[in-house]
Amino acid sequence: MLRLEGVEFSYPSAPESTMHFDLQVDDGEVLGLIGPSGSGKSTLLHLVAGFLRASAGRIVVDEQDLQNLPVAARPVSIVFQQHNLFPHLDLYTNVALGVDPSLRLAPAQVDAVRAALARLGLESLQHRKPGELSGGQRQRVALARALVRRRKILLLDEAFAALGPALRAELIELVRELVQEQQMAALLVSHQPGDALIASARCAFICDGRVAALADTAQLLAGSEPPQLRAYLGSQ
Amino acid sequence: MNIPRAIPASLVLALLALLVLAPMAGLLQLSALPGFEAADLRIWENAYLRRVVGFSLWQALLSTLLSVLPAILVARAFALQPGLPLRRMLLGLFALPLVVPAVVAVMAVVSVYGSDGWLPLGRKLYGLNGILLAHVFFNLPLAVRLLLPQWHAIPQSHWLLAEQLGMNHWQRFRFVEWPQLREALPGVLLLVFMLCLTSFAVVLTLGGGPRSTTLEVAIYQSLRFDFDPAKAVVLALLQLALCMLVAIFTLKLQRMPEVEIAAATPWAGKSKAAQWFNLALILAATLYVGMPLLSLLIDALRGPLLRVMFDTGLWLAFGNTLLIGISAAVLAASAGWFLLAYSAELAQRGHSAAARLVDLAASSVYVVPPLVIATGMFVLLSPRVDVFDWVYPVVISINALMGLPFVIRCLGPAMRQNHARYHRLCLSLDLRGWNRFRHLDWPLLRRPLGLAIALVAALAMGDLGVIALFGSTRSATLALLIYQQLGAYLVAQATVTALLLLALCLGVFVLLEHLIGGSADAAA
Repeated sequence: MLRLEGVEFSYPSAPESTMHFDLQVDDGEVLGLIGPSGSGKSTLLHLVAGFLRASAGRIVVDEQDLQNLPVAARPVSIVFQQHNLFPHLDLYTNVALGVDPSLRLAPAQVDAVRAALARLGLESLQHRKPGELSGGQRQRVALARALVRRRKILLLDEAFAALGPALRAELIELVRELVQEQQMAALLVSHQPGDALIASARCAFICDGRVAALADTAQLLAGSEPPQLRAYLGSQ
Repeated sequence: MNIPRAIPASLVLALLALLVLAPMAGLLQLSALPGFEAADLRIWENAYLRRVVGFSLWQALLSTLLSVLPAILVARAFALQPGLPLRRMLLGLFALPLVVPAVVAVMAVVSVYGSDGWLPLGRKLYGLNGILLAHVFFNLPLAVRLLLPQWHAIPQSHWLLAEQLGMNHWQRFRFVEWPQLREALPGVLLLVFMLCLTSFAVVLTLGGGPRSTTLEVAIYQSLRFDFDPAKAVVLALLQLALCMLVAIFTLKLQRMPEVEIAAATPWAGKSKAAQWFNLALILAATLYVGMPLLSLLIDALRGPLLRVMFDTGLWLAFGNTLLIGISAAVLAASAGWFLLAYSAELAQRGHSAAARLVDLAASSVYVVPPLVIATGMFVLLSPRVDVFDWVYPVVISINALMGLPFVIRCLGPAMRQNHARYHRLCLSLDLRGWNRFRHLDWPLLRRPLGLAIALVAALAMGDLGVIALFGSTRSATLALLIYQQLGAYLVAQATVTALLLLALCLGVFVLLEHLIGGSADAAA
């Protein structure tokens, strides 16, 4: 379980705008995060991943506070929109780096990498380089790496934004399955409210650096509060 | 704060400061130098100084105009002929002067325009004419390579719109091409002006007489022939002031184009007459650049090859050249790597002003010419030690300093891009230190690194500025040997030595670029 308790952060360039987050994501749950550009969705993910340090509050995973842990020591895997893979390494190596950056893998770890690739339907492509793959396949590789890392938290930072609607829906469905299988807690940032509808039972609307609304996804998208959500969705 | 990156970068910055500021301190001890008189500082009253400054500026201005104005036409011709057969090879030829040592270019120019050359100018070659011919040989191709990407940057839709609106050639140039060209032109003009203002080997060998001496050559003559350090320091301070002025103008412009050929193809002209005109321009420029090199090759092969090859002095100079070239390249690349790694990290953390400052410090040699630094070192060291015993550390470190801006320009964009794209991923995967270097930095940066090392090695091997001040017979490089042979009127031997130096520079360039950079698809 991931819990953000009174987490505060402000960028040095705008010290007067302090963001404030309180949130909880259960094991096996994907929580959708929607909101306008610059509202703080990616900042929230980067605080959990450790790329940014909160000025106050706690980020807790299974009762362990992550605040003082370096990025690599946090139980977190992240998938970005692009540049998830090293272009000069083949798929197998890109995934294996997630297990051990020195690439000194025990036989069981090699099997785990192969199994993850197989699970994502990439077994036959393992010796190809990212440049030879489609956008959807590249994101599958990034998910395979998240799978072998076996971390409790999965962060998806507009991971599927560059894909078409059908492929996006397919990959979000896949994420749901993986999160269920490994009992991870996942945060999915998306600009498409429809993504949240597919991905998550619950959804948070982030606005001005705060969780402005958190509810059942269908209810949230159909509701009328807060007004910023209406403006964001473009509905009356 | 990432301590491992900050520490080596700080060390490099401290060394840079020492290398630039200590010689400056030497120059500022002017009043303590033997032969100094306060009247030396009243430059406007000294006819010799006025003449030297005037000629320095005049030859730089003429060289710049004669290089850049034709380069605009040639670059345009290349841009509008994307399907030209051998286009790649011709553009490759235009890259050659970047690695051809200045003294070799002088020999090549002499072999075409000298009294026994294909287009003999006789005694008129020596002086301003020869200086201009050699400077244009160097800078016209450079300007073509700097300007060509401007045409590639014009959006396809602009070409189509111009065609749809029925613009003629002049209108198209005025409304489509000129606005893009205008962006880069001041930067290119100032860069070429600066290169000509600080040109040493060309002026030393083709000019040098009382009527055609520049500040750089006058500094050298004051130190090595007149033994007048006070005059050398006044000249060096003048040169420093001029270079700072040009650097300030350049900084104001804020934009210096990259030396690269973009892959995009611009609109190709349809008029037959225009196509023939473009082809004629390309042919003329190719002949201008290619003919001297071809002539040098023929002259050298007809020269006293065996006699020169069996001279032990030649092989000693060969060894010195290699030692200085490779050492300077490794030093510059290491320093550049540490500085860039740190500046990329600073930029990533949002300290873009500090990152820019680190990059600027690495390019300080743009403001303080190498010969000015060398003069400062000479003045600083000569009362204390035998400066000729210090030739290797001094020549290697100043050449490394001269090469540092090239490392920054070759490696900087790739390193910053790498950092911006993968730094967070590396953090989350715990990819750092040796693992990061072998899995990420080396495979993705080896090509620009190879190019940077190869370029700096070739430049250092061909340098005649610092080695002319500090070199002796024992420590001569091939470039200095050529100059000594010319001084002894051994032109045929100098031509053979020039060919050997050219072969060495090109060979080392290709070898280093290939060995370090790997094959073209290695980083694909």
